[in-house]
Amino acid sequence: MLEFLIPNNVMCHAVEAMLFASLGCALLSVLITQMNISSIGFTMSHAAFAGGSVGAFFGYAVLPSAVFVSILTAFLMGPLSDRTRMHTDTTLGVLFGTMMAVAIFFIALMQGTGKGFDASSLLYGNVISLYREEIYALAVITCIILIFLIIFYKEITAIVFHKRLAEIAGIQVKPVYYGILFLISVMVALSIPIVGGLLLYVWLVTPAAIAYQFCNTMRNMFIMAPVVAVIVSVTGAICGILYSLPVGPLTAVIFSGLFVGAVAVSPKRKIVFHNH
Amino acid sequence: MTCGKDHIIQLKEVWTTYEGADLPVIKDVTLNIKPGEFVVIGGPNGAGKTTLLETIAGLLPVVNGSVQVCGHDVIKDGCAARKKIGYVIQNFDFHPYTPFTVEEVVLMGRYGKLGWLKRHSSRDMDKVTSAICQLGLCPMQKNQIGKLSGGQQQKVLIAQNLAKDPEVLLLDEPFSNLDMVTREEVSRLLCQIADAGIPVLIVSHAFDALPDRDIRVVVMQHGEIILNQLSHPSDVGNLVRSASVAA
Repeated sequence: MLEFLIPNNVMCHAVEAMLFASLGCALLSVLITQMNISSIGFTMSHAAFAGGSVGAFFGYAVLPSAVFVSILTAFLMGPLSDRTRMHTDTTLGVLFGTMMAVAIFFIALMQGTGKGFDASSLLYGNVISLYREEIYALAVITCIILIFLIIFYKEITAIVFHKRLAEIAGIQVKPVYYGILFLISVMVALSIPIVGGLLLYVWLVTPAAIAYQFCNTMRNMFIMAPVVAVIVSVTGAICGILYSLPVGPLTAVIFSGLFVGAVAVSPKRKIVFHNH
Repeated sequence: MTCGKDHIIQLKEVWTTYEGADLPVIKDVTLNIKPGEFVVIGGPNGAGKTTLLETIAGLLPVVNGSVQVCGHDVIKDGCAARKKIGYVIQNFDFHPYTPFTVEEVVLMGRYGKLGWLKRHSSRDMDKVTSAICQLGLCPMQKNQIGKLSGGQQQKVLIAQNLAKDPEVLLLDEPFSNLDMVTREEVSRLLCQIADAGIPVLIVSHAFDALPDRDIRVVVMQHGEIILNQLSHPSDVGNLVRSASVAA
Protein backbone atom coordinates (compact mmCIF):
# COMPACT_ATOMS: atom_id res chain seq x y z
CA MET A 1 0.00 0.00 0.00
CA LEU A 2 2.79 2.45 0.83
CA GLU A 3 5.38 1.10 -1.62
CA PHE A 4 5.34 4.40 -3.55
CA LEU A 5 6.61 6.13 -0.39
CA ILE A 6 8.89 3.44 1.03
CA PRO A 7 10.71 1.39 -1.63
CA ASN A 8 12.34 -0.93 0.94
CA ASN A 9 9.88 -3.86 1.12
CA VAL A 10 10.71 -4.91 4.71
CA MET A 11 10.50 -1.34 5.98
CA CYS A 12 7.29 -0.78 4.04
CA HIS A 13 5.58 -3.84 5.58
CA ALA A 14 6.70 -2.84 9.05
CA VAL A 15 5.47 0.74 8.68
CA GLU A 16 2.11 -0.36 7.24
CA ALA A 17 1.58 -2.87 10.04
CA MET A 18 2.52 -0.36 12.75
CA LEU A 19 0.38 2.32 11.13
CA PHE A 20 -2.83 0.29 11.09
CA ALA A 21 -2.25 -1.49 14.41
CA SER A 22 -1.47 1.76 16.25
CA LEU A 23 -4.39 3.60 14.63
CA GLY A 24 -6.93 0.93 15.58
CA CYS A 25 -5.50 0.32 19.05
CA ALA A 26 -5.30 4.05 19.82
CA LEU A 27 -8.95 4.64 18.88
CA LEU A 28 -9.93 1.75 21.14
CA SER A 29 -7.57 2.92 23.88
CA VAL A 30 -9.79 5.98 24.41
CA LEU A 31 -12.73 3.68 25.16
CA ILE A 32 -10.65 1.26 27.22
CA THR A 33 -9.24 3.94 29.53
CA GLN A 34 -12.48 5.89 29.90
CA MET A 35 -14.53 2.72 30.58
CA ASN A 36 -11.90 1.44 33.06
CA ILE A 37 -11.51 -1.92 31.32
CA SER A 38 -7.76 -1.82 30.78
CA SER A 39 -7.43 -5.49 31.85
CA ILE A 40 -9.04 -6.37 28.53
CA GLY A 41 -5.60 -5.96 26.93
CA PHE A 42 -3.86 -8.75 28.78
CA THR A 43 -7.00 -10.92 28.96
CA MET A 44 -7.41 -10.90 25.20
CA SER A 45 -3.71 -11.40 24.53
CA HIS A 46 -3.76 -14.44 26.84
CA ALA A 47 -6.90 -15.69 25.10
CA ALA A 48 -4.91 -15.53 21.87
CA PHE A 49 -2.02 -17.29 23.62
CA ALA A 50 -4.39 -20.05 24.80
CA GLY A 51 -5.90 -20.33 21.32
CA GLY A 52 -2.44 -20.61 19.77
CA SER A 53 -1.37 -23.40 22.12
CA VAL A 54 -4.66 -25.34 21.70
CA GLY A 55 -4.37 -24.97 17.92
CA ALA A 56 -0.76 -26.17 17.95
CA PHE A 57 -1.69 -29.16 20.11
CA PHE A 58 -4.40 -30.28 17.69
CA GLY A 59 -2.23 -29.56 14.64
CA TYR A 60 -3.86 -26.34 13.43
CA ALA A 61 -2.10 -23.13 12.43
CA VAL A 62 -1.25 -20.98 15.46
CA LEU A 63 -2.48 -17.53 14.33
CA PRO A 64 -5.98 -18.49 13.07
CA SER A 65 -6.46 -20.53 16.26
CA ALA A 66 -5.38 -17.53 18.33
CA VAL A 67 -7.80 -15.23 16.49
CA PHE A 68 -10.64 -17.76 16.81
CA VAL A 69 -10.28 -18.16 20.58
CA SER A 70 -9.96 -14.37 21.07
CA ILE A 71 -13.21 -13.80 19.21
CA LEU A 72 -14.89 -16.59 21.19
CA THR A 73 -13.72 -14.95 24.41
CA ALA A 74 -15.07 -11.60 23.21
CA PHE A 75 -18.48 -13.14 22.62
CA LEU A 76 -18.44 -14.56 26.17
CA MET A 77 -17.15 -11.46 27.91
CA GLY A 78 -20.17 -9.13 27.74
CA PRO A 79 -22.89 -11.64 28.62
CA LEU A 80 -20.65 -13.16 31.30
CA SER A 81 -20.10 -9.84 33.08
CA ASP A 82 -23.85 -9.18 32.91
CA ARG A 83 -24.78 -12.62 34.27
CA THR A 84 -22.23 -12.56 37.08
CA ARG A 85 -23.36 -9.05 38.13
CA MET A 86 -19.74 -8.07 38.56
CA HIS A 87 -17.68 -5.22 37.18
CA THR A 88 -16.34 -6.06 33.70
CA ASP A 89 -12.79 -5.75 35.07
CA THR A 90 -13.45 -8.57 37.57
CA THR A 91 -14.83 -10.84 34.85
CA LEU A 92 -11.77 -10.01 32.75
CA GLY A 93 -9.56 -11.04 35.67
CA VAL A 94 -11.31 -14.43 35.88
CA LEU A 95 -11.02 -14.94 32.11
CA PHE A 96 -7.36 -13.92 32.16
CA GLY A 97 -6.53 -16.63 34.74
CA THR A 98 -8.55 -19.22 32.84
CA MET A 99 -6.88 -18.45 29.52
CA MET A 100 -3.42 -18.50 31.07
CA ALA A 101 -4.21 -21.88 32.64
CA VAL A 102 -5.45 -23.31 29.32
CA ALA A 103 -2.31 -22.09 27.55
CA ILE A 104 0.04 -23.55 30.19
CA PHE A 105 -1.93 -26.82 30.27
CA PHE A 106 -1.60 -27.45 26.53
CA ILE A 107 2.04 -26.33 26.40
CA ALA A 108 2.81 -28.79 29.22
CA LEU A 109 0.93 -31.53 27.34
CA MET A 110 2.95 -30.81 24.21
CA GLN A 111 6.22 -30.90 26.13
CA GLY A 112 5.15 -34.21 27.68
CA THR A 113 4.40 -35.76 24.30
CA GLY A 114 7.57 -34.41 22.73
CA LYS A 115 5.77 -31.85 20.48
CA GLY A 116 7.48 -28.51 20.34
CA PHE A 117 5.64 -25.20 20.57
CA ASP A 118 7.37 -21.91 20.03
CA ALA A 119 5.27 -19.32 21.84
CA SER A 120 7.70 -16.48 21.19
CA SER A 121 5.78 -15.20 18.13
CA LEU A 122 2.68 -14.75 20.29
CA LEU A 123 4.53 -13.36 23.30
CA TYR A 124 6.91 -10.94 21.59
CA GLY A 125 5.64 -10.63 18.00
CA ASN A 126 7.74 -9.73 14.99
CA VAL A 127 6.73 -6.83 12.82
CA ILE A 128 8.90 -7.80 9.85
CA SER A 129 7.56 -11.35 9.56
CA LEU A 130 3.99 -10.43 8.65
CA TYR A 131 2.24 -11.65 5.51
CA ARG A 132 0.46 -9.18 3.23
CA GLU A 133 -2.90 -10.74 4.18
CA GLU A 134 -2.27 -9.97 7.84
CA ILE A 135 -1.62 -6.31 7.03
CA TYR A 136 -4.79 -6.18 4.91
CA ALA A 137 -6.73 -7.71 7.82
CA LEU A 138 -5.35 -4.98 10.11
CA ALA A 139 -6.36 -2.30 7.61
CA VAL A 140 -9.87 -3.74 7.37
CA ILE A 141 -10.42 -3.99 11.15
CA THR A 142 -9.08 -0.45 11.63
CA CYS A 143 -11.56 0.84 9.03
CA ILE A 144 -14.38 -1.10 10.72
CA ILE A 145 -13.44 0.45 14.10
CA LEU A 146 -13.42 3.92 12.57
CA ILE A 147 -16.82 3.40 10.91
CA PHE A 148 -18.27 1.91 14.12
CA LEU A 149 -17.09 4.95 16.11
CA ILE A 150 -18.52 7.40 13.58
CA ILE A 151 -21.89 5.65 13.26
CA PHE A 152 -22.44 5.01 16.98
CA TYR A 153 -20.57 8.03 18.34
CA LYS A 154 -23.47 9.39 20.37
CA GLU A 155 -24.33 5.99 21.89
CA ILE A 156 -20.67 5.27 22.65
CA THR A 157 -20.06 8.61 24.38
CA ALA A 158 -23.21 8.17 26.48
CA ILE A 159 -22.14 4.67 27.54
CA VAL A 160 -18.61 5.82 28.31
CA PHE A 161 -19.97 8.68 30.42
CA HIS A 162 -22.37 6.54 32.50
CA LYS A 163 -23.86 3.19 31.45
CA ARG A 164 -26.86 3.55 33.76
CA LEU A 165 -27.68 7.07 32.55
CA ALA A 166 -27.36 5.91 28.94
CA GLU A 167 -29.86 3.13 29.66
CA ILE A 168 -32.21 5.64 31.30
CA ALA A 169 -31.93 7.92 28.26
CA GLY A 170 -33.44 5.07 26.21
CA ILE A 171 -30.25 3.94 24.51
CA GLN A 172 -29.85 0.23 23.64
CA VAL A 173 -26.69 -0.17 25.70
CA LYS A 174 -25.97 -3.89 25.32
CA PRO A 175 -25.49 -4.17 21.53
CA VAL A 176 -23.12 -1.18 21.47
CA TYR A 177 -21.20 -2.33 24.56
CA TYR A 178 -20.80 -5.87 23.23
CA GLY A 179 -19.76 -4.40 19.87
CA ILE A 180 -16.98 -2.44 21.58
CA LEU A 181 -15.72 -5.57 23.40
CA PHE A 182 -15.85 -7.57 20.17
CA LEU A 183 -13.84 -5.01 18.19
CA ILE A 184 -11.23 -4.81 20.95
CA SER A 185 -10.80 -8.59 20.89
CA VAL A 186 -10.40 -8.78 17.12
CA MET A 187 -7.96 -5.87 17.12
CA VAL A 188 -5.91 -7.51 19.88
CA ALA A 189 -5.86 -10.87 18.12
CA LEU A 190 -4.70 -9.33 14.85
CA SER A 191 -2.10 -7.08 16.51
CA ILE A 192 -0.42 -9.81 18.57
CA PRO A 193 1.85 -10.99 15.72
CA ILE A 194 3.25 -7.44 15.46
CA VAL A 195 4.24 -6.52 19.01
CA GLY A 196 3.28 -9.65 20.93
CA GLY A 197 0.82 -10.21 23.74
CA LEU A 198 3.16 -8.87 26.41
CA LEU A 199 3.67 -5.42 24.88
CA LEU A 200 0.29 -4.94 23.25
CA TYR A 201 -1.02 -3.50 26.50
CA VAL A 202 1.06 -0.37 25.82
CA TRP A 203 -0.81 0.27 22.53
CA LEU A 204 -4.18 -0.28 24.18
CA VAL A 205 -3.69 2.13 27.07
CA THR A 206 -0.82 4.59 26.61
CA PRO A 207 -2.04 6.62 23.58
CA ALA A 208 -5.25 7.58 25.42
CA ALA A 209 -3.33 8.09 28.67
CA ILE A 210 -1.07 10.61 26.87
CA ALA A 211 -4.02 12.33 25.13
CA TYR A 212 -5.90 12.52 28.44
CA GLN A 213 -3.14 14.74 29.87
CA PHE A 214 -4.04 17.46 27.35
CA CYS A 215 -7.67 16.88 26.28
CA ASN A 216 -10.85 17.84 28.06
CA THR A 217 -13.28 16.22 25.63
CA MET A 218 -13.71 12.75 24.14
CA ARG A 219 -13.67 14.22 20.63
CA ASN A 220 -10.20 15.69 21.19
CA MET A 221 -8.98 12.43 22.73
CA PHE A 222 -10.20 10.52 19.66
CA ILE A 223 -8.10 12.88 17.51
CA MET A 224 -4.96 13.18 19.62
CA ALA A 225 -4.53 9.53 20.71
CA PRO A 226 -4.32 8.08 17.15
CA VAL A 227 -2.07 10.93 15.95
CA VAL A 228 0.38 10.29 18.82
CA ALA A 229 0.20 6.52 18.39
CA VAL A 230 0.84 6.62 14.65
CA ILE A 231 3.81 9.03 14.98
CA VAL A 232 5.41 7.00 17.79
CA SER A 233 4.77 3.59 16.18
CA VAL A 234 5.97 4.53 12.70
CA THR A 235 9.04 6.25 14.20
CA GLY A 236 9.69 3.12 16.30
CA ALA A 237 9.39 0.86 13.26
CA ILE A 238 11.72 2.99 11.09
CA CYS A 239 14.36 3.44 13.84
CA GLY A 240 14.15 -0.21 14.86
CA ILE A 241 14.76 -1.48 11.34
CA LEU A 242 17.39 1.15 10.46
CA TYR A 243 19.45 0.50 13.61
CA SER A 244 18.61 -3.24 13.97
CA LEU A 245 16.76 -2.79 17.26
CA PRO A 246 13.70 -4.78 18.41
CA VAL A 247 10.78 -2.71 17.06
CA GLY A 248 8.09 -3.63 19.63
CA PRO A 249 10.08 -2.93 22.80
CA LEU A 250 11.63 0.21 21.28
CA THR A 251 8.22 1.64 20.42
CA ALA A 252 6.86 0.71 23.87
CA VAL A 253 9.75 2.55 25.53
CA ILE A 254 9.15 5.66 23.37
CA PHE A 255 5.46 5.55 24.35
CA SER A 256 6.32 5.31 28.04
CA GLY A 257 8.87 8.16 27.81
CA LEU A 258 6.29 10.32 26.07
CA PHE A 259 3.73 9.50 28.75
CA VAL A 260 6.12 10.59 31.51
CA GLY A 261 6.79 13.83 29.59
CA ALA A 262 3.06 14.40 29.06
CA VAL A 263 2.34 13.97 32.77
CA ALA A 264 5.16 16.41 33.60
CA VAL A 265 3.86 19.19 31.35
CA SER A 266 0.13 18.45 31.53
CA PRO A 267 -2.00 21.58 32.08
CA LYS A 268 -4.27 19.44 34.26
CA ARG A 269 -1.70 19.67 37.04
CA LYS A 270 -1.33 23.43 36.82
CA ILE A 271 -2.50 25.27 39.94
CA VAL A 272 -3.89 28.73 39.24
CA PHE A 273 -4.11 31.21 42.10
CA HIS A 274 -5.97 34.51 41.94
CA ASN A 275 -6.04 36.65 45.05
CA HIS A 276 -8.69 39.00 43.67
CA MET B 1 -47.71 16.69 25.37
CA THR B 2 -48.71 13.71 27.52
CA CYS B 3 -49.82 10.28 26.40
CA GLY B 4 -53.47 11.23 26.74
CA LYS B 5 -54.47 8.37 29.04
CA ASP B 6 -56.44 8.77 32.26
CA HIS B 7 -53.61 7.17 34.13
CA ILE B 8 -50.22 7.79 32.61
CA ILE B 9 -48.54 5.44 35.11
CA GLN B 10 -50.32 2.22 36.03
CA LEU B 11 -48.83 -0.34 38.39
CA LYS B 12 -51.03 -3.35 39.09
CA GLU B 13 -50.15 -5.85 41.84
CA VAL B 14 -46.45 -5.43 41.15
CA TRP B 15 -43.79 -7.54 42.85
CA THR B 16 -40.19 -6.59 42.18
CA THR B 17 -37.03 -8.30 43.31
CA TYR B 18 -33.30 -8.03 42.80
CA GLU B 19 -31.43 -11.03 41.41
CA GLY B 20 -30.20 -13.19 44.28
CA ALA B 21 -32.37 -11.45 46.88
CA ASP B 22 -34.19 -13.67 49.39
CA LEU B 23 -37.32 -11.53 49.51
CA PRO B 24 -39.06 -9.21 47.03
CA VAL B 25 -38.30 -5.52 47.53
CA ILE B 26 -41.68 -4.30 46.22
CA LYS B 27 -44.70 -6.30 47.33
CA ASP B 28 -48.09 -6.20 45.68
CA VAL B 29 -47.94 -2.50 44.79
CA THR B 30 -50.83 -0.96 42.89
CA LEU B 31 -50.46 2.70 41.96
CA ASN B 32 -52.17 4.88 39.35
CA ILE B 33 -50.87 8.35 38.50
CA LYS B 34 -52.71 10.88 36.35
CA PRO B 35 -51.08 13.45 34.06
CA GLY B 36 -50.03 16.58 35.96
CA GLU B 37 -49.97 14.97 39.40
CA PHE B 38 -47.17 15.92 41.81
CA VAL B 39 -46.29 12.85 43.85
CA VAL B 40 -44.02 12.71 46.88
CA ILE B 41 -42.86 9.22 47.81
CA GLY B 42 -41.75 9.02 51.44
CA GLY B 43 -40.90 6.43 54.03
CA PRO B 44 -37.92 5.15 55.99
CA ASN B 45 -34.63 4.03 54.46
CA GLY B 46 -34.93 0.65 52.76
CA ALA B 47 -38.71 0.96 52.34
CA GLY B 48 -38.45 0.43 48.56
CA LYS B 49 -38.85 4.03 47.34
CA THR B 50 -35.94 4.00 44.88
CA THR B 51 -36.90 0.48 43.80
CA LEU B 52 -40.38 1.78 43.01
CA LEU B 53 -38.90 4.47 40.72
CA GLU B 54 -36.58 1.92 39.08
CA THR B 55 -39.54 -0.39 38.53
CA ILE B 56 -41.50 2.39 36.84
CA ALA B 57 -38.43 3.12 34.67
CA GLY B 58 -38.20 -0.57 33.71
CA LEU B 59 -34.74 -1.01 35.16
CA LEU B 60 -35.57 -3.95 37.43
CA PRO B 61 -37.09 -7.39 36.82
CA VAL B 62 -40.79 -7.49 37.73
CA VAL B 63 -41.71 -10.98 38.94
CA ASN B 64 -45.45 -10.42 39.04
CA GLY B 65 -48.00 -7.82 37.99
CA SER B 66 -47.97 -5.23 35.22
CA VAL B 67 -46.36 -1.81 34.74
CA GLN B 68 -47.68 0.52 32.06
CA VAL B 69 -46.10 3.92 31.43
CA CYS B 70 -47.43 6.14 28.62
CA GLY B 71 -49.16 3.08 27.17
CA HIS B 72 -45.93 1.07 27.03
CA ASP B 73 -45.61 -2.23 28.80
CA VAL B 74 -42.43 -1.49 30.72
CA ILE B 75 -41.71 -5.18 31.39
CA LYS B 76 -41.74 -6.10 27.69
CA ASP B 77 -40.41 -2.89 26.16
CA GLY B 78 -38.56 -0.89 28.80
CA CYS B 79 -36.34 0.85 26.25
CA ALA B 80 -39.28 2.42 24.39
CA ALA B 81 -40.82 3.52 27.69
CA ARG B 82 -37.56 5.04 28.91
CA LYS B 83 -37.48 7.33 25.87
CA LYS B 84 -40.52 9.03 27.42
CA ILE B 85 -39.41 8.85 31.05
CA GLY B 86 -37.06 11.33 32.70
CA TYR B 87 -35.28 9.81 35.68
CA VAL B 88 -32.84 11.73 37.87
CA ILE B 89 -30.84 9.15 39.82
CA GLN B 90 -29.73 9.55 43.41
CA ASN B 91 -26.16 8.33 43.49
CA PHE B 92 -23.66 9.66 41.01
CA ASP B 93 -19.97 10.34 41.22
CA PHE B 94 -18.17 11.89 38.29
CA HIS B 95 -14.38 11.93 38.08
CA PRO B 96 -13.03 15.52 38.18
CA TYR B 97 -11.48 15.08 34.73
CA THR B 98 -14.24 13.09 33.08
CA PRO B 99 -13.99 14.40 29.50
CA PHE B 100 -17.56 15.66 29.12
CA THR B 101 -18.89 19.19 29.30
CA VAL B 102 -22.20 20.20 30.87
CA GLU B 103 -23.63 20.78 27.39
CA GLU B 104 -22.58 17.31 26.18
CA VAL B 105 -24.09 15.61 29.24
CA VAL B 106 -27.41 17.46 28.86
CA LEU B 107 -27.48 16.60 25.14
CA MET B 108 -27.12 12.89 26.02
CA GLY B 109 -30.65 13.09 27.46
CA ARG B 110 -31.95 13.41 23.89
CA TYR B 111 -29.91 10.56 22.40
CA GLY B 112 -32.51 7.86 23.12
CA LYS B 113 -35.22 9.85 21.36
CA LEU B 114 -32.99 10.52 18.36
CA GLY B 115 -32.60 6.80 17.69
CA TRP B 116 -29.87 4.95 15.82
CA LEU B 117 -27.77 6.66 13.13
CA LYS B 118 -29.25 10.13 13.67
CA ARG B 119 -27.29 13.22 14.61
CA HIS B 120 -28.65 15.98 16.82
CA SER B 121 -30.24 18.96 15.10
CA SER B 122 -30.36 22.65 15.96
CA ARG B 123 -33.76 21.96 17.58
CA ASP B 124 -32.07 19.49 19.93
CA MET B 125 -29.43 22.07 20.79
CA ASP B 126 -32.14 24.65 21.48
CA LYS B 127 -33.77 22.22 23.93
CA VAL B 128 -30.39 21.64 25.58
CA THR B 129 -29.62 25.36 25.92
CA SER B 130 -33.11 26.05 27.25
CA ALA B 131 -32.84 23.27 29.89
CA ILE B 132 -29.37 24.46 30.93
CA CYS B 133 -30.58 28.05 31.34
CA GLN B 134 -33.71 26.96 33.24
CA LEU B 135 -31.43 25.43 35.85
CA GLY B 136 -29.19 28.51 35.94
CA LEU B 137 -26.22 26.68 34.45
CA CYS B 138 -25.66 28.96 31.44
CA PRO B 139 -22.27 30.34 32.59
CA MET B 140 -20.90 26.81 33.03
CA GLN B 141 -22.30 25.31 29.80
CA LYS B 142 -18.81 24.52 28.47
CA ASN B 143 -17.34 23.46 31.83
CA GLN B 144 -16.42 19.86 32.53
CA ILE B 145 -19.10 18.22 34.65
CA GLY B 146 -16.57 16.63 37.01
CA LYS B 147 -15.33 20.05 38.11
CA LEU B 148 -18.76 21.22 39.30
CA SER B 149 -19.99 20.90 42.88
CA GLY B 150 -22.35 18.08 43.88
CA GLY B 151 -25.35 20.44 43.77
CA GLN B 152 -24.40 21.76 40.33
CA GLN B 153 -23.96 18.21 39.04
CA GLN B 154 -27.41 17.39 40.37
CA LYS B 155 -28.79 20.37 38.43
CA VAL B 156 -27.04 19.12 35.28
CA LEU B 157 -28.77 15.74 35.62
CA ILE B 158 -32.12 17.48 36.11
CA ALA B 159 -31.40 19.59 33.00
CA GLN B 160 -30.50 16.41 31.09
CA ASN B 161 -33.92 15.01 31.85
CA LEU B 162 -35.73 18.27 31.05
CA ALA B 163 -33.98 18.43 27.67
CA LYS B 164 -35.38 14.98 26.98
CA ASP B 165 -38.94 16.41 26.93
CA PRO B 166 -40.17 13.65 29.22
CA GLU B 167 -43.80 12.64 29.51
CA VAL B 168 -43.16 11.36 33.03
CA LEU B 169 -40.53 12.75 35.39
CA LEU B 170 -39.03 10.68 38.22
CA LEU B 171 -36.56 12.22 40.65
CA ASP B 172 -34.72 10.39 43.40
CA GLU B 173 -33.75 12.77 46.22
CA PRO B 174 -33.59 15.81 43.91
CA PHE B 175 -33.02 18.24 46.78
CA SER B 176 -30.33 16.29 48.63
CA ASN B 177 -27.33 18.27 47.34
CA LEU B 178 -29.05 21.61 46.85
CA ASP B 179 -28.95 24.73 49.01
CA MET B 180 -32.18 26.28 50.27
CA VAL B 181 -32.51 28.90 47.49
CA THR B 182 -31.82 26.35 44.75
CA ARG B 183 -34.28 23.90 46.32
CA GLU B 184 -37.01 26.49 45.99
CA GLU B 185 -36.01 27.27 42.39
CA VAL B 186 -36.01 23.58 41.44
CA SER B 187 -39.29 23.07 43.28
CA ARG B 188 -40.90 25.92 41.30
CA LEU B 189 -39.59 24.41 38.08
CA LEU B 190 -40.99 20.98 38.96
CA CYS B 191 -44.32 22.62 39.77
CA GLN B 192 -44.38 24.26 36.31
CA ILE B 193 -43.64 20.89 34.73
CA ALA B 194 -46.50 19.24 36.62
CA ASP B 195 -48.81 22.16 35.72
CA ALA B 196 -47.98 21.45 32.07
CA GLY B 197 -49.50 17.99 32.49
CA ILE B 198 -46.36 15.95 33.13
CA PRO B 199 -46.59 13.86 36.29
CA VAL B 200 -43.66 14.46 38.65
CA LEU B 201 -42.75 11.74 41.15
CA ILE B 202 -40.08 12.57 43.70
CA VAL B 203 -38.54 10.43 46.40
CA SER B 204 -37.57 12.79 49.16
CA HIS B 205 -36.91 13.22 52.85
CA ALA B 206 -36.95 17.02 52.52
CA PHE B 207 -40.46 18.41 52.66
CA ASP B 208 -39.61 22.07 53.23
CA ALA B 209 -39.45 23.14 49.58
CA LEU B 210 -42.56 21.55 48.13
CA PRO B 211 -44.61 23.60 45.66
CA ASP B 212 -47.84 25.22 46.74
CA ARG B 213 -50.27 22.83 45.03
CA ASP B 214 -52.07 19.57 45.73
CA ILE B 215 -49.59 16.81 46.35
CA ARG B 216 -50.20 13.08 46.29
CA VAL B 217 -48.37 11.54 49.21
CA VAL B 218 -47.30 7.92 48.86
CA VAL B 219 -45.69 6.39 51.93
CA MET B 220 -43.85 3.10 51.69
CA GLN B 221 -42.85 0.66 54.38
CA HIS B 222 -41.24 -2.77 53.88
CA GLY B 223 -41.90 -2.64 50.14
CA GLU B 224 -45.60 -1.91 50.46
CA ILE B 225 -47.61 1.28 50.03
CA ILE B 226 -49.14 2.07 53.41
CA LEU B 227 -50.55 5.50 52.53
CA ASN B 228 -51.69 7.04 49.26
CA GLN B 229 -53.67 10.29 49.52
CA LEU B 230 -53.84 13.88 48.34
CA SER B 231 -52.50 16.48 50.71
CA HIS B 232 -51.56 20.13 51.13
CA PRO B 233 -47.76 20.68 50.93
CA SER B 234 -47.55 21.85 54.55
CA ASP B 235 -49.02 18.53 55.76
CA VAL B 236 -46.77 16.22 53.75
CA GLY B 237 -44.04 15.92 56.40
CA ASN B 238 -46.51 15.11 59.18
CA LEU B 239 -48.37 12.60 57.01
CA VAL B 240 -45.17 10.74 56.12
CA ARG B 241 -43.98 10.72 59.73
CA SER B 242 -47.28 9.61 61.25
CA ALA B 243 -47.83 6.89 58.64
CA SER B 244 -44.30 5.54 59.16
CA VAL B 245 -44.69 5.55 62.96
CA ALA B 246 -48.15 3.96 62.86
CA ALA B 247 -46.87 1.15 60.63
